[in-house]
Parts: sequence; C-alpha cells; structure tokens
Amino acid sequence: MLTLLKDLRRLRRSLALPAPDRPRSLAVRHVDAGSCNGCEHELTFASGPHYDLQRFGFSIVASPRHADVLLVTGVVTTRMHAPLLAAYNAMPEPRRVVAFGDCALGCGVLGLTSELVGPVEDVLPVDLRVPGCPPTPAAIAAALVELAG
Amino acid sequence: MSEYRSRVAVALGSGARFAGLHASGGVVRTALVEPGGRLQIEHTAVEDGRVESIVDLTAAANWDEREAADLYGVRFDGHEPLRPLAVHDLDLRSWTVPVRGGDAYQIAVGPIHAGVIESGHFRFHVVGDRILHLDARLFYKHRGLERAAEGHTLEAGLAYVARACGACAVTNAVAYAQACEQVLGRRPTAEVARARTILLELERLWSHLNDIAAVCAGVGLAAGAMEFTALAERARRLNARLTGHRFLFGSVAVGGSSVAFEVDEARDELASIRAESERAWRELLFNASFSDRLPDIGVVLREDAIALGAVGPAARASGLAEDARATAGLLAYDGFETIVPRRAAGDVQARLEQRALEVQQTFDLLASLLDAPVTPSECERTEPAGPIGAARIESPRGATLCIVESANGHVDRLRLRTGSYANWPVVAHAAAGNLLPDFPLINKSFELCYACADR
Repeated sequence: MLTLLKDLRRLRRSLALPAPDRPRSLAVRHVDAGSCNGCEHELTFASGPHYDLQRFGFSIVASPRHADVLLVTGVVTTRMHAPLLAAYNAMPEPRRVVAFGDCALGCGVLGLTSELVGPVEDVLPVDLRVPGCPPTPAAIAAALVELAG
Repeated sequence: MSEYRSRVAVALGSGARFAGLHASGGVVRTALVEPGGRLQIEHTAVEDGRVESIVDLTAAANWDEREAADLYGVRFDGHEPLRPLAVHDLDLRSWTVPVRGGDAYQIAVGPIHAGVIESGHFRFHVVGDRILHLDARLFYKHRGLERAAEGHTLEAGLAYVARACGACAVTNAVAYAQACEQVLGRRPTAEVARARTILLELERLWSHLNDIAAVCAGVGLAAGAMEFTALAERARRLNARLTGHRFLFGSVAVGGSSVAFEVDEARDELASIRAESERAWRELLFNASFSDRLPDIGVVLREDAIALGAVGPAARASGLAEDARATAGLLAYDGFETIVPRRAAGDVQARLEQRALEVQQTFDLLASLLDAPVTPSECERTEPAGPIGAARIESPRGATLCIVESANGHVDRLRLRTGSYANWPVVAHAAAGNLLPDFPLINKSFELCYACADR
C-alpha cells in the first residue's frame, strides 16, 4: 500500500500537471445514451493520475439531483430516450448539457433508424459539443474547463 | 427428436460447445465449436414462424433464442416461458422470474448507474441483503447494428462490427475480417496474422490492466485503482503511438493489413509497463484489506460455467481449459498454452488472478511477436468457402463469434456474438446467493461490455 502511494506520488511529481488558475467546480452526471463504450473508458481515465480532472474541481456525481452538467455519450437509442429525459428533468437549474463524442453529435452514426432517436441535440438543448471518437481525456479536461468559464 | 435437434445433441455429446444461434431469412442457425476449435454450423427451417428450441440441450442458447424471438419473430417450441430480451415490455411479470415468499422484495438498479458505467438495468430479488435472483435487462444500447449492416459490401460492413464496442474493437473486427475472407477466398499471410495477433494482444493488455483497476475500485482501494489506471493509460498511449488511435480503431482491414510501425519503442515501453505492473500486483497481493474481500464471493462452479456457456478469463477461473487462441490457426499463436489457475475456485479472486496471469502471458506474446517491424501485407488468394463465413476470436472477455452470410459480395446477415454476450447470464448466476453490496465487485470481476452485448 505504501509502495503504491509512493509510486503515485512519484508519478504525480513527474507529470507535474499545472494547477488550475481559477477556483471553479462543476458536478457532472454522465448518461450513456447508446455509446460503444469508448467514451466511457476515456471519461474514466480522465479521473486517472495522468489527467486528474478533480484538480479543476470537476467530479462525476452519482445523482442528477445535485449535478450542474449532464454529459451524454452515444447516439440516443429508443430505449434510452425516456431515462435520458428523466435524468435531465431531475437536475436543478441552471443546468448544462454536454454532447460528448461523435455519436452524441450525430457524426458518422451507424445503426438502424428505427432503433435510434437521433443525436443529443434532437432531444435536449446542447450547451457544449465535444467531438472525437472517442474524445481523449485531454480533450475532456479542456472542454470542461471551457464550460466552467 | 427432429434431425436438427439430434445433430445438435450429438455434437454437444461429443464434446462440442454451443457457440451461438441466430435467425436468418427463414432458417435458424446454431454454431457449435468442436474441441479442436473447428466451427460446425447446423440449421433448421422456420415453419409457421416456429422452430424447436435447443435450450433444454444447452442453457447457453437462452439469450440467443430470446433475441431471435424478439428481433426476428421466431417462436421456439419447448422454450417456456420465452421471456422478452430485446423488447422492453413494461409488464414486469413478462421478463422477470417470479419470486414469491415472505420478505422477498425487489431492488431496481439502472439503466443509469451511479458512476461512469454503461446503461443497463438490473432487477434484484432480495431478502434482506441476500440476493435470491437477478434478472439483467440489457439492450438499452441496442442500435440495430447487425441489421443496419445488411446490404452493404463486405468491406463496408466492417465499420458496423467495429462500432459495436470500443473496448473489443480489434477482436470484433478480426472476427469479421476472417469470416469475410473465407467468403472472398482470401487467406491471411504470416505477416497479416502477426499484425492482427499483435493488435489483439495490445487490446487485451490495456483491457486486462483496466479490469484489475476496476476490481480495485470495486473494493474501494483507490491507490490500486489509480496505479493500474495509470498503467492502462500508458498502454493506450502506446496504442496511439503505434497505430494513431488509443483504442486501435481502424487498424484491422478485410483482405489484408495496412498497419506499419517500428517495434523498438514498443518493446521498451512494454518492458517498462511490465516491470511496474508486476510490482504493483505484488503490492495488491500483500494488502490484506484488499485480498480479504475477494475469495468465496460470486462463485461460478465448473459445471455451471459449462452449462451456461461461460467463456474467457471467467470460464478459465472456474477451471475450464478453453481459450480460442489455442486453436486460432489463422493468427500467430503457435505453441499457445491455455492458462488455468491452480486455484480455479470461480470466485472474484480467481477471476482477478486469472487476469494477472494472462497479462504476463500477453507481455510474453508481445515480446516474441514484436521481433521485426510490422509491415503492410495482402491476404493470399484461395478457394472461397461458400456464402457463409464464420470465425471465433478470443477477446479480453472471452470467445467472440462472427458469422457473415453474404450474397454477391454484400452482407446478407451478420451475427456478432461477443464474449460479453455469452457471459452476461453467468454474471446473473454468480450474483445469486451473495450479498447485494458485493454485486458491484462481482460485476467488476467479469467487467463485461454492455455495448457489444446490445449492439
């Protein structure tokens, strides 16, 4: 355990990630509306030692009830349409929506029209678009910093 | 017993295992894999919308028959009750197993989960904290990829299997490419086979490192989760340097291989990741609060793993010496030896240890495969095998079957049955009898994709 912690401290020192220049924080709720799992993997790694999203005050929160941002991955499938709206409607205002990844943006979507509702902007008002297949953890950090303004 | 059922029964009786079932234009096809790895495909005609079920012969066909019923309208005589799988009927009784008795109640989880997790719904039937039964309802992410691929050229169909899952993109693409090449009359050269095998093992490497991190996270050991996340991140960065993509997207092609890279940097980086991962693994072993959480939960007995059709590290952790790599003639796995752990207890600990063992095996394979620069190569011409091609490739989560039925160089029917699809019913089985708070850990010890089950 001590070795692991020592390793991580060393990694942290060698990466020397810059400290944020302003105190802001955002609570982010993620909803997978029909992704290929690529976006989820990159989103998870954005909280890892090489990117450390938390240093900007961003955290992935368990409930939409106390989230500032709804981050949606994937094209919206017919079966995820209602759960996505339920999550959005459970959020307090003001609330922002991030369409995350090419599928969420409606770019190069593959699938059967009858199984898909469409890109996120067909369902919810989108505040920020993060392109990429999938967006890299670095792009995720940059996008959220921009959103926090 | 009909001829179809008896052929399936004979094959199963002679040691073959169920590998997949799908409906296709008036017939139902069942794929069986013989002990030597050869695929045998049996079919039966759909008459008046009905065929005979084989679910009594092999429980592994359960989801396949339910999916064929939902998406292709085939009824399976003898499969009672035939519960909906892809159709999300609102009536709870239609898709859950009835649980009766004092103090039994249900807990609904999902489709949206608390962390960064794919969408899927779990309906737990519990008494107190004890799980009596779990009904998993997936297909929330069903995009109809198989049907959407129909009518496209065999080359264009590749995108649909690759998009099915980001975490198994290489496996799915290699399985599809091999199936198409049988139809087209192409045979991978040694260099194509080597390039694909390297890509498959690079995919397995980041995936297994990530899955060890996931078990640490499931226990709540943040230091272990972060250490292995950092190692998996290095593996993904290496992928990007070698192929231009962190998940190796676009690196597999039908009819050849176009990836090209030098291997010196990869060898050095892999040796460094290996040394650090071995050290971190030793630290995990000596962490009592971590290791105490792992044994005797989420147990899958060997006979249940066989009956349910378990595949991959999960099946091997239950003592099944099966790995599609051992019989992959068109890949560069010569001399491959399937790892079965000494302690094949089929619990969370065994599944975690299995991954740690397989990571070492992957490092060994990559070290020997990366002995010369990887260069582009075209497949050789050979005799086309007929309109149906089938291939079975070992993904990080288990054997993935891809069947391509073609007509005039186009996809007529595509079936992608991934390791995750095979193992989801096993997760539900493993959960029963355990405490509800242990489920996240049990689930993470399988670390299945929802995307490649839902497609």
